[in-house]
Amino acid sequence: MTNTSNLRVAVIGGGPGGYASAFLAADLGMKVTLIDPEANPGGVCLYRGCIPSKALLHVAKLLEEAEQAKNWGIDFGEPKVDLNKLRGWKESIVKKLTGGLGQLSKQRSVQFVQGKAAFVNSTTVKVTKTAGGEETLTFDRIIIATGSRPTVVPSLKLDSPRLMDSTSALDLPDIPKTLLVIGGGYIGLELGSVYAALGTKVTVVEMMSGLLPGADRDLVLPLHKRLEKFFSAILLNTTVKSLKDEKTGIRVTLEGPNVKEKEQVFDRVLMSVGRRPNSEIFGLDQTKVKVNAKGFIEINAQRQTADPTIYAIGDVAGEPMLAHKAMHEGRCAVEAIAGHKVAFEPNAIPAVVFTDPEIAWAGLTETQAKEQGREITVAKFPWAASGRAITIDRPEGLTKLLIDPKTERVLGVGIVGAGAGELIAEGVLAIEMCALAADVGMTIHPHPTLSETMMESAEVFYGQATDIYRPKK
Amino acid sequence: MATEFKLPELGENIESGDLVRLMIKPGASITEGEPVMELETDKAVVEVPSSVTGTVSEIRVKEGDKLRVGQVIFTVENGTGTGTTPASNTAAQPSVIPLVPISATPAPAAIPQPERRATPTASAATASEFKMPELGENIDSGDLVRLMISVGASVSEGQPVMELETDKAVVEVPSSVSGVVREIKVKEGQKVKVGEVIFTLEGGVVAAEPARKHLPVEHISGQQAARLAFQLAMRAEGKTEEQALPPDQPHTLAEGFSMPVQLGKVAGTDRDPVPAAPHVRRLAREIGVDIHSVQGSGPGGRIGEDDIKLSAKNALIAAAAAAQTPRAIFIEPALPDFAKWGKTERVSMRGVRRKTAEHLRQAWNTIPHVTQQDRADITELEHLRAKFAPRAEEAGGKMTVTAIALKVCASALKVFPQFNASIDMAKEEIIYKQYISIGVAVDTDRGLLVPVIRDVDKKNIVELAAEMTQLSKKARDRKLTVEEMEGGTFTITNLGGIGGTGFSPIVNHPEVAILGLSRSRMEPEWVGNKFEPRLILPLSLSYDHRLIDGADAARFLRWIAEAFEQPFLLSVQG
Repeated sequence: MTNTSNLRVAVIGGGPGGYASAFLAADLGMKVTLIDPEANPGGVCLYRGCIPSKALLHVAKLLEEAEQAKNWGIDFGEPKVDLNKLRGWKESIVKKLTGGLGQLSKQRSVQFVQGKAAFVNSTTVKVTKTAGGEETLTFDRIIIATGSRPTVVPSLKLDSPRLMDSTSALDLPDIPKTLLVIGGGYIGLELGSVYAALGTKVTVVEMMSGLLPGADRDLVLPLHKRLEKFFSAILLNTTVKSLKDEKTGIRVTLEGPNVKEKEQVFDRVLMSVGRRPNSEIFGLDQTKVKVNAKGFIEINAQRQTADPTIYAIGDVAGEPMLAHKAMHEGRCAVEAIAGHKVAFEPNAIPAVVFTDPEIAWAGLTETQAKEQGREITVAKFPWAASGRAITIDRPEGLTKLLIDPKTERVLGVGIVGAGAGELIAEGVLAIEMCALAADVGMTIHPHPTLSETMMESAEVFYGQATDIYRPKK
Repeated sequence: MATEFKLPELGENIESGDLVRLMIKPGASITEGEPVMELETDKAVVEVPSSVTGTVSEIRVKEGDKLRVGQVIFTVENGTGTGTTPASNTAAQPSVIPLVPISATPAPAAIPQPERRATPTASAATASEFKMPELGENIDSGDLVRLMISVGASVSEGQPVMELETDKAVVEVPSSVSGVVREIKVKEGQKVKVGEVIFTLEGGVVAAEPARKHLPVEHISGQQAARLAFQLAMRAEGKTEEQALPPDQPHTLAEGFSMPVQLGKVAGTDRDPVPAAPHVRRLAREIGVDIHSVQGSGPGGRIGEDDIKLSAKNALIAAAAAAQTPRAIFIEPALPDFAKWGKTERVSMRGVRRKTAEHLRQAWNTIPHVTQQDRADITELEHLRAKFAPRAEEAGGKMTVTAIALKVCASALKVFPQFNASIDMAKEEIIYKQYISIGVAVDTDRGLLVPVIRDVDKKNIVELAAEMTQLSKKARDRKLTVEEMEGGTFTITNLGGIGGTGFSPIVNHPEVAILGLSRSRMEPEWVGNKFEPRLILPLSLSYDHRLIDGADAARFLRWIAEAFEQPFLLSVQG
């Protein structure tokens, strides 16, 4: 094994993938430089993504439950929203977490350079510092973790503060009366939910025939039903033809089968049609790194690029663009640099949509199984049969296991319902550990919890679930 | 008592079907085994027979409904009281009969009638097992080609229960037990080892045992028949499977204007997720074991640390053994990724094909081959052959050139004993065989088989013709036993029926020579002082140059050619 203790490693980008890489590299004894334009590590996830959106979604949930509490005999009255205070609370969370990462960097002697990096060659990077000045640094290995940014549809470009992307929407400039969300993916639905909870009339436009394209339809259905009541409209198979900034708002031209008014004016428009990789790094052409047609950097199983000294991880290196994937990849890349025989080949990467209800899945989906022509048995446990779900008045959930009928191995897990994002972790573990349905079914789960639905789904596979009668076919 | 008839299992992974036609009415009386409806499943239209007897009282489905396995179809008032199934017992499942070209379906075992009766004497029942018996020397496993029993059927000792394909032969395995089949532990297409439990048995009385819910009972024969019927129907329409099955819905994905559908996709490679925990996968990588080639010993094929270590150990042993062998082990060069250039299909190389590949590679690597060519004028022989053909026919055989060649070679091998020998390099000895048994290559639909005719020198041509005809038929019917393909001292391969002017056969190791015959044809021959049309048979003799010199081979083949030309030689010298 190579002596790795003297390796000088640069990590470009301080998001979850970047700081996870930098910290592990430091733990393995390498000399690490972490380069990011922000004051502290954190990246999109902490500054403009996962974390602030989850803080706001927590508030949205609270507002909704307070409303729902009227059914249970509790009335808090109409909520008063202090937007400045809410914004401040959200920002304090971001500050606390990113500050913590700054501390962790110092403790590990990771040199944090605030600035923008450009390649000089395969081992040299020139950093334009935020504070001013330039610095040229040379390394043995470089990890690119520059992440992604919101996609902008060129024909819908508009220079107006009323047109927001996920970043500006999270800034909570105001509570608009009306909001159009372009794109029914997870970002649009999450942020749309936040604004709807704060009192905005939200309309969602999705080009495809259903919300959350790519997710199994039976998981999306309970969410769709709830959002139909929560939002003022969900327009499927619908496209936005044009946006026009007017004094009173943005005039939007819609085209679709269920569009009643072709032209509508919204106070604000949120464009959330996806994200694109940040692979346009200055000087990348001075290296042997290859970028594919979709803009992702090409990598091998060790996350090494076509340039042997350069690795790439996270959103910039391919789908799915998820923080937890990036962190795992980052650790894999660092271990590869350290000379360990590793490869990035997880059996499952969980996906979570933090709406209400939440949707989460891991491993094989039914849609994929159908595409691949793969034989699977789907064991479903509806939450209406879960005592815990009834006590929180959320019986619309569903837990399902996708099982190989021959080996009885759990290949995929899908959950929709309150807290699905927390529950999916057990599914990921089951898939990675190659659990059989029997293993999940024979594991004692605490009662009464929603986690029992995993166990009971496995029992459904054998036609022996306690709380539901589903005889084996 | 009202009895329910539920939709029985239709076959592997078939959970439901569309009801095409109902064949019963309320008030009608039905008996067990009588077809009650036609069902269209994903694979075929099948006729579903009743498992109950009585008068139909209520029908709970209608034509056009989607029916699920286990769903109640109708109820009967128990008229005759024979062979009825209590509503609670879904275990007595009749097999479904495929409707599509059933006449062409060669599956006699496809319609097993359930013989079990619900008898509430469960505790008295004793279960026994039938294990795979020894099949012959050095055969410890085989591929299960066909199961001839089904759950609920009674078997008696000596009754064939399955067909097994071993490296060389398809054998019928007879039962060594009698009773009613309770559970079948193997599936068609599976590799079965000697000693493995094939099925379990209820001795005599059948227990009303609880349905074994989590062990799906496979109705292989019904499924197999449905599949065959489907394939036949497809062929009749001149379609491929792809054309016959409905096309997959095209997956539409709007570029850049929708959420990434890759969210949550099984990550990493195109390969199936490995059935091993992450730390086991890491161990495999660290010690250089390709985990995709490791057979897991755990439940569901789960791979554990021990499996990885065992795999590594075996690799080391194999490498050590290879290092001790003086001859370098042949390593297959890596294959390119063919999928880059177009669609491919991978098919496992089972049974005969795999054995042929291994055997021929070994023969080719061991034996320095030389092929000697010659031609025999068989004009006169052809007249004799036609003349004596009826005699062979009387004896049940066909007087073929191969049959005559057998006799000719037997005589030649007596004159040239080094062609009837083997080499023992380890002991540095030559083994001369005092018997002459000749293998004849037979082209069958599963590949090349070589039945051996014993003591060829002691048999006349009519006898040889009869035996040859019989063995060829057995080979094509997959009935050859392993013994019938062992112990040859020389081989003949005749491609004349197909064509060709000559070829280089590969010696059937551990033999040292092989004679190839090509298509005989009329050719102008210089006879005396003019050309005459003569029937010429091309001969190709491949031999092991370690033992046989070129001059000997030329003499041997010339002798054979002359024997064909003047059959009289056989009686003089042979």
